[in-house]
Amino acid sequence: MPKTKIPAVIATFILCMAFWVLITWNFSSQELLAGAVVSLAAALFSARFMIHGKAFWLLNPAKLFGLIYYVLIVFPVELVKANVDMAKRCFGGCKNINPGIVKVPVDLQSEYGQAMLANSITLTPGTITMEVTEEDDQTYYYVHWIDVSAPSGKEAGDAIKGALEKGVRRVFE
Amino acid sequence: MAIRIVIDILMVVGLVFCLAGVKGLIKMPDTFSRMQASTCISTLGAIGVLLGGLLYAIFVMGSASTAVKIVVIALMIIVTNPIGAHSIAKGAYKAGVRPEKPMEVDDYGRDFND
Repeated sequence: MPKTKIPAVIATFILCMAFWVLITWNFSSQELLAGAVVSLAAALFSARFMIHGKAFWLLNPAKLFGLIYYVLIVFPVELVKANVDMAKRCFGGCKNINPGIVKVPVDLQSEYGQAMLANSITLTPGTITMEVTEEDDQTYYYVHWIDVSAPSGKEAGDAIKGALEKGVRRVFE
Repeated sequence: MAIRIVIDILMVVGLVFCLAGVKGLIKMPDTFSRMQASTCISTLGAIGVLLGGLLYAIFVMGSASTAVKIVVIALMIIVTNPIGAHSIAKGAYKAGVRPEKPMEVDDYGRDFND
């Protein structure tokens, strides 16, 4: 089991505390103190599972900007495109589909990056990530795709996650 | 007044996507395609309605705590929804659910043949 590191505890504590403040939205000192105690306890126990790498990588301005750009621009654009496409298929009588599971290569090293990309793919209508595997240092996703327009490999990968992967790479690598 | 129109448009757009998702949920031919259609509801459907609610909370109600809670709801939907969808799809596949009409490409079945 990995050891608990101090920066990881601090980062987890900040995350828990921010969430407590967001949920309660009450700034009396008693509330804040209770939140701090609970957050500290939670951070001590869970920091080693939450954070494996550097704890404060988000303080790097390039990465922070990359994350904001991804969350506010890259991802919503893909989401709206996929949603409109899916809505058209649904209102068109659900006949115009060609489902299948394809295997696509992913060029991301970081664990968090892979998780974020997999979740982004699942969140866009029309694609669901079903499995993540690694073969010979190359990560592959198995993606259920509502309209298979290209067989497995690079081409399908570009169609499913082209812009998303570039955005995620800017954040984590 | 202008802000009310923006709010109403956002809500209607969200509801239209919900309607699309529900129609897909009923009419799609197999389990996985139905899950794909239902993603419409939980992304743009929910987010459109919540965005409308957020603007309403800020400009009409003027209540910061309601606005913050709506943001938290949207955040939780975005963070938790894909994990659930992924495990339901994988679990269904492992449990032997297959479409009636065989899938054209099925690399998962090819590589993890049980």
